[in-house]
Amino acid sequence: MLRSPAVVITMTVLVWFIAAFLLWPNANLLVQTFFPDGQFTGRAVEKLMSSERAMMSLGNSFLLAVTLALTVNAVGIFIVLVTEYFRIRGAKVLWLGYATTFIYGGIVLAAGYKFIYGADGIVTKFLAGIFPDMDRTWFEGFFAVLAVMTFATTTNHMLFLGSAIRNVDFQTIEAARNLGASSWTILRRVVLPTLKPTLFAVTILSFLTGLGALSAPQVLGGQDFETITPMILTFANSTTSRDLAALLALVLGVATIAMLSVMTRLERGGTYHSVAKVAAPLQKQPIRDRGANIAVHAVAYVLFLIYVFPLTLVVLYSCMDSAAISTGVLTLDRFTLENYVRVLSQQSALKPFIVSIVYSALAAIISVGGLLFVTRLMLKYRGWLMSALEYLLHIPWILPAAMIALGLLITYDRPNPLVGGFVLSGTVVILLLAFVIVKVPFTLRMLKAAFSSVNGSMEEAAAIMGAGTLYTFRRILLPAVLPAAAAVAALNFNNLLDDYDTAVFLAHPLYQPLGLQIKANTDGGASVEAIGNTFVYTVLLMVVMGTVMYLVYGRLNRVRRSPRARRVPLQRVGGDAGTPNADLPEGATTEESSAAPLR
Amino acid sequence: MIRFDSIRVTFDGFTAIHNLDLHVEPGEFFTLLGPSGCGKTTALRTLAGFVDPSAGDVFIDGRRVTTVPSDKREVGMVFQNYALFPSMSVWENIAFGLKVRRTSGAERDRLVEDMAARVELSGDQLHKKVSELSGGQQQRVAIARALVLKPKILLLDEPLSNLDAKLRHQLRGELKALQSDFGITTVYVTHDQDEALTMSDRIAVFNKGRVEQVGTPQEIYDASASEFVCNFIGDSSSLTPALIHRLNELARRSQLDPARLSYLRVEKAALDLPGRSDHLHDDGSVTVSGRVTARNYHGQHSRYTVRLDDADIKVLVKEDGRHGPGLGEEARVRINPAHVLQYGATG
Repeated sequence: MLRSPAVVITMTVLVWFIAAFLLWPNANLLVQTFFPDGQFTGRAVEKLMSSERAMMSLGNSFLLAVTLALTVNAVGIFIVLVTEYFRIRGAKVLWLGYATTFIYGGIVLAAGYKFIYGADGIVTKFLAGIFPDMDRTWFEGFFAVLAVMTFATTTNHMLFLGSAIRNVDFQTIEAARNLGASSWTILRRVVLPTLKPTLFAVTILSFLTGLGALSAPQVLGGQDFETITPMILTFANSTTSRDLAALLALVLGVATIAMLSVMTRLERGGTYHSVAKVAAPLQKQPIRDRGANIAVHAVAYVLFLIYVFPLTLVVLYSCMDSAAISTGVLTLDRFTLENYVRVLSQQSALKPFIVSIVYSALAAIISVGGLLFVTRLMLKYRGWLMSALEYLLHIPWILPAAMIALGLLITYDRPNPLVGGFVLSGTVVILLLAFVIVKVPFTLRMLKAAFSSVNGSMEEAAAIMGAGTLYTFRRILLPAVLPAAAAVAALNFNNLLDDYDTAVFLAHPLYQPLGLQIKANTDGGASVEAIGNTFVYTVLLMVVMGTVMYLVYGRLNRVRRSPRARRVPLQRVGGDAGTPNADLPEGATTEESSAAPLR
Repeated sequence: MIRFDSIRVTFDGFTAIHNLDLHVEPGEFFTLLGPSGCGKTTALRTLAGFVDPSAGDVFIDGRRVTTVPSDKREVGMVFQNYALFPSMSVWENIAFGLKVRRTSGAERDRLVEDMAARVELSGDQLHKKVSELSGGQQQRVAIARALVLKPKILLLDEPLSNLDAKLRHQLRGELKALQSDFGITTVYVTHDQDEALTMSDRIAVFNKGRVEQVGTPQEIYDASASEFVCNFIGDSSSLTPALIHRLNELARRSQLDPARLSYLRVEKAALDLPGRSDHLHDDGSVTVSGRVTARNYHGQHSRYTVRLDDADIKVLVKEDGRHGPGLGEEARVRINPAHVLQYGATG
């Protein structure tokens, strides 16, 4: 293994990357908090305990986490049931409405809600015209944050719970009905129990999303509802309170790790999956009780409107002139493309978009390109060293983005031998690094699955015909995993495009990505043009992300369903790796916990 | 042609092959047969050069190849799932090895087309993707890809095991025909006794990392050397000491040892016409009477279970329209003591 120079170089880079960017910055947070001068001190803890604001934010975050876990589950389970389990009229349209969160989340969504329901929002203005005495800040504070985050983070439910419910063996439902169970009993006793592990997982993901929330509390929390991550950001900006920021980040990190380990423990207990050898596909269940049926339909469509309304307004107002935006008017004669022209032609307006695209594309390519080699080595040379390195590469998964960003920021704000004596904080490189780092675990898991799904005999077949290791990698393995690698890169790109949480800590002041620009436009004094720009950004983002999603998932489904793919009798012979249905390895979506769209 | 000389293979302390000595003649279709985990695939992979033996040597054509890399051993291999490269066309798959060997373009075209013609792949199929071929065509591509390099030996690792029954039968014939056509020494791995018996010149039966018997299909079947071979191949009834005693009494020349484990192949027992029972025939067989305890109808034949003393003897009866004895009725079973297979220590 050490004879090949390519292997030695890859291993060296890998070990350096792990040491410099995964281990030391996070360990350094601990050091900065508890050993700022080389000696243990509990000063940071004392400072935290005595800061009423900080303690309040801790309490608020946990309150948000717990309530969010409840509300997201309520909404999430309901929308999954109406789109996947019950026979509901227009289920496909409903699904499209609920699925808007796939391409509309994070800071973009928070900003959208503020432009519509905020103190100067379109709806608020409209309502104030009718009820002049109303409280214009009605959509602010805990309630607003909770509402926005509830409807923004059902993505996990649609992904994981949706796929779990589609995998329920229909024969178990028929058997239960044959034994005399009612629809309600079947749902409660047969279907939901098989979904338990997925429910645990999405509950914990929702909890963590609430705990680490940044953009929604910042944009909609107002003065009275501050949470941990915005607080970390505030403290991090001043040298005297950095230890406090570090300590809060540690609290967040410890809570995250604890919750994730609970989740792993829960998942291990019990058999939930179908034991059937031939599972029958799920058929949608009619709701037999007429009253219940009407009620469920009504709630489903009200939720649909809640999901689609802000988005529709954003799209419509992106085509209205400034005067219409500032007064909240929506008429056909005010229709204009001036916002689009402005964003696409003015360098200052287009720049954030370009910056985001460049950063995301670079990070996507670097993470996938680098890990292609690493993953291949991990599968080829198994052993304790490789296992240890693989575990370490998962660090970014168990730590909140804010903690990773803060670790990088305070570790590399002075010359450090680990990075050749350079200062990274404040440069354009550090955000790219952070983007690559947060994408490492997902990319690694996906590529590992892709490589594992390649038929091992192909390597031997190449070897027996005299092909060398590199030739085999280039001609046989790479083409086999390339569709999957491209899909992973595309998803990484999508996920980073509207990033706010990492950028807000690390972005270079002159190269601010889109997320920061959108956030800036939500702050009180923003001009009408800036608001119009934000609407255009939102639409452009959705177009880009929607296209990528379609290319990755849409094409995938089409291939899966194509009759030819089914006709070929020996599809597993090579078909696995060759046809594009291997684009995303099995369980691709289950690995996407980092895609929680709103923190 | 091929010689395994005291080969021993261990994986992490587990011994997959104990002490293997085998000799395969030139041009032979030689089958390694056994249940899963018996070491047959390991033996094949040792020959291919994918597994390093911890002791012993492998010889191909008199040359010691134990440490020679697999591509220098002049062996071609067809994998269980064919391992065709999905990113390449059929033509590119077959030409892959030639390209690696830097065979000139014109020569390569000639060899590939020549080989494709011999395995009956049309020019049209050569430019298809491998996923567009049927199972049988994929098998032919895999064989062509292996044979185009003109190996001395062809290795086949359960190439029929993933196919449905009908295709398996069809490809079995096709594969055997191609092999005799090319006349290449072939080592074939399978767990399917039917496949082994119909295709092979000789068979080595593996069990728990050891070879139990090497022989022609008929030797393996009719004169199974061990109890394992007897049970693994074909179907047989177990005879009890009491029944052996009775056979010895009736057939005066028969001297079977009642203390040993005794088996009789199901097709070797026959139902006799009604008449005198417990008597000796001229060919040395005897007729013993008992009672029918079960009858399973299979369409072409029925399988009777007849209780003789304390032994349950299975008898195959062709369903040719005649009425056999019913359940609980008397049945007379004809057995030749010379067909009884005996194993285990005496006394």
